[in-house]
Amino acid sequence: MDEFFQNNGFLIVVMVQQTLLAMSLYYPLMAGQLSLASPGFYALGGYVAAIIGTVEYFSPWRDALGWGVFPLEWLIAGVMSALLAVIVGIPALRLKGIYLALATIAFVEIVRVTCLNLDITGGAIGIFGVPQLFESRWAYIWIFGPLLAVMLYFSYRLERSRVGRAFKAIREDELAADAMGINTTRYKVLSFVIGAVLAGIVGAMSAPFLNTWNARQGTFDASIAYLAYVLIGGGRSIWGPLLGGALLSALPEVLRPLKDSRLIINGLVLVFASIYLPQGLAGALGRLKLVFRRGSRPSGGGA
Amino acid sequence: MNIILEARQLCRNFGGLKAVHNVSFNVAEGEIFGLIGPNGAGKTTLFNLMTGLTPVSGGTLSFRGKTLTGLPPFRIAEKGIGRTFQNIRLFKGLTALDNIRVARHIRTSAGLLSSVLCTRASRNEEQQVEEKAWEILKLVGLAERGMELAANFSYGEQRRLEIGRALALDPEVLLLDEPAAGMNSAEKHSLTDFIREVRDRFNLTVLLIEHHVPLVMNLCDRIAVLNFGELIAMGAPAEVQKNPAVIEAYLGAE
Repeated sequence: MDEFFQNNGFLIVVMVQQTLLAMSLYYPLMAGQLSLASPGFYALGGYVAAIIGTVEYFSPWRDALGWGVFPLEWLIAGVMSALLAVIVGIPALRLKGIYLALATIAFVEIVRVTCLNLDITGGAIGIFGVPQLFESRWAYIWIFGPLLAVMLYFSYRLERSRVGRAFKAIREDELAADAMGINTTRYKVLSFVIGAVLAGIVGAMSAPFLNTWNARQGTFDASIAYLAYVLIGGGRSIWGPLLGGALLSALPEVLRPLKDSRLIINGLVLVFASIYLPQGLAGALGRLKLVFRRGSRPSGGGA
Repeated sequence: MNIILEARQLCRNFGGLKAVHNVSFNVAEGEIFGLIGPNGAGKTTLFNLMTGLTPVSGGTLSFRGKTLTGLPPFRIAEKGIGRTFQNIRLFKGLTALDNIRVARHIRTSAGLLSSVLCTRASRNEEQQVEEKAWEILKLVGLAERGMELAANFSYGEQRRLEIGRALALDPEVLLLDEPAAGMNSAEKHSLTDFIREVRDRFNLTVLLIEHHVPLVMNLCDRIAVLNFGELIAMGAPAEVQKNPAVIEAYLGAE
């Protein structure tokens, strides 16, 4: 068992981390907003942690707080992501559908190019030697795991709350939601901020985990990867990004023995899933459950 | 009689088309006020102006003496004006119960944090919302099907659910856009009684757009007739029926 974790621990942590990033897309989607901005906030959070962890100016903080500097990094990353999300979200969320997706991709590019050219972010080289929270990579499960648990509980409560219902009402019919007294702009921005804060915190946790941070961390490719997690997992419940993120981030590693042809299989999975699983894996499993329930009942029984 | 709604010279142009032109009327508290007119007369546009979904091009609208024009739709809903839509705009992917619960939004206050932390106040509020929602479902006769998706409901049921959703706002004024469209004659008949019943029970003022003439004549205290965006007649049903301008609008001149 120990050996298993030594060999696969890194992959498991990456799966949890990618799942969390997939979930960060889910919150705006709950309010019907297709935002691909997560990699931008992920990059921002990572730079916050990397800069606080390495820059001389912050060394008194590090000395004074010890390991306590890490939670502080998460907090600062979360707050900065929230502020930036409000500033970006208010104008961007006036756009709908694919136009919003494009605007958020542009945001990710702006963050990337800015970080590539600033001195404080280390330019093209990035930031090396970010202090580690744990000695082994596998141990990072002790921060990503609890975050996942917290986010699952958060989502569970959100779905059943006044705010969550406002999100879903906007997703179903924005105009009717407005006429039913819901401040649609405010709730769209709120959903965007929730996703951004999550992505920012995951970024801040990932910089120590990866030991280094640079402009390749939040890119257009990542936007598409997270979108694929949600598309394949399903966007109608939190189980979608959970399944999609875990399975798809593991797939390239599991298929590694196949060498280069693994990318072909990876691509095929994407194509077939989007054709045959329009509601994603979570949607397909939900329907399967419904079929079994119906089957065990006398015919004609309604829900 | 207290005036609850007052429209003054309301106008709305779409390009060169005057969809609503200089329309003025008062609605008294507790009244059932009918809005009729041929297709394209501007009835639904007038409703959209009153609920803020379409901005006015000119004129003012006030509710209990306070001006509504220029407010976003959600503010108008907060003030106490609920509506249904001609082409039914339920939250189709949500259950009937959730459709009603969404409309309790403005009468509740739980924020993100208190909901997630499951505070006592938020739990109490949530319980009240649920009780109120079941009560309304019972009122519109859909209590047995509360957990079904709104999309699975028949046309008539969807219309009733939509009225229920509007009632969940605790409105003072209810705007019904063709509530009887797509209903059979038995359903239309019970709808008349139902509208009167909710008016009395919740002390509502009702404005309704309707094409089904017997229903309008039977139900409304007063009727306004629109044609090509202009108000051509207003008064008690019997008067309006005899008005030559109305007959001309519907049947053409001799």
